[in-house]
Amino acid sequence: MAVRVVFADDSFLVREGVAGLLTETPEVELVATATNPVELHAAVEAHRPDAVLTDIRMPPTFTTEGIDAAKRIRAEFPETGVLVLSQYIEEQYAFDLLSEGVAGLGYLLKERVSQVDELVGALEAVARGGSSLDPKVVEGLMARKTSQESSPLLGLTERELEVLAELAAGRSNAATASALFMSDRAVEKHISSVFQKLDLTQESDVNRRVMAVLVFLEATGGAGNRPQPGG
Amino acid sequence: MTDVRVLIVDDQEPFRLAMAAVVEETAGFVVVGMATTGEESLTAAAALLPDLVLMDVNLPGIDGVEATRRLTSAADAPVVFLLSTYDEDEFDAAGSGAAAYVAKAALGPDRLSEAWSTAS
Repeated sequence: MAVRVVFADDSFLVREGVAGLLTETPEVELVATATNPVELHAAVEAHRPDAVLTDIRMPPTFTTEGIDAAKRIRAEFPETGVLVLSQYIEEQYAFDLLSEGVAGLGYLLKERVSQVDELVGALEAVARGGSSLDPKVVEGLMARKTSQESSPLLGLTERELEVLAELAAGRSNAATASALFMSDRAVEKHISSVFQKLDLTQESDVNRRVMAVLVFLEATGGAGNRPQPGG
Repeated sequence: MTDVRVLIVDDQEPFRLAMAAVVEETAGFVVVGMATTGEESLTAAAALLPDLVLMDVNLPGIDGVEATRRLTSAADAPVVFLLSTYDEDEFDAAGSGAAAYVAKAALGPDRLSEAWSTAS
């Protein structure tokens, strides 16, 4: 039996082109198209499709509308699988999409949509409650997981991370204590623990501070949870 | 002012039809032909003498970039816009002779007119 699909994309050309491809495909029955998340939701409610194919960036903000719609649809209509289409490999988006489970969800790069077999395979997978991830996305997520697993910051407690973030913002111990509502002694204790966990026990105090901040900035991509000065 | 005569090249019919719909919606532009491969686009361009060719990058046989190179190396060559699903800042059309690269997702009457104004 053909997979009943609702397709959402705000671009006329992509919508018409992909809709045309799906219409020509016997494995798929395209029951509705939508140009924005509101139309998409209405179409899903009306048609209860087996699968939704949706662009990520749609009106009004052209950021994560498709991810938000996917999560909402999965929550409200658990019988409907959702395959999101993305222009780029956006690991953060994929991570957000899949953070609460992968069942009935898929993530496909737009460059694959003209390869009808792949598109149909992915739609069939999410429709039966499985998942389908673009191989490039899987690679990205694996790299991300590996870097997180090997992060030198992993052994730090939440409080130690907060203290380190303050140091990275250039704060003194006293300013850190004040910002985090801690005693000076507690700050010193946390800093000493951070140095130990980051293997910075042999350096001078100033060097250790700098080294710890460098480790933090490298592990958080330069910004991380660094508080804004004066914030 | 005469209409800009457009040749559409894409191996997938739904995209050809969608592109044709965009062109017909754009004031001052008219579709004069469609081709499904790079080789066919060369023959069609020689016969139809279009002002503008909308060329898909991914084509069977010679791809859109190579077809563009051949088309634009001739005298009185048409203006060629390359199109694909890649984002506009990800694709480098330099060296192909294409006047512009337009992401399929971005192609609409406004973008087509704007790219034509810039190119001509």
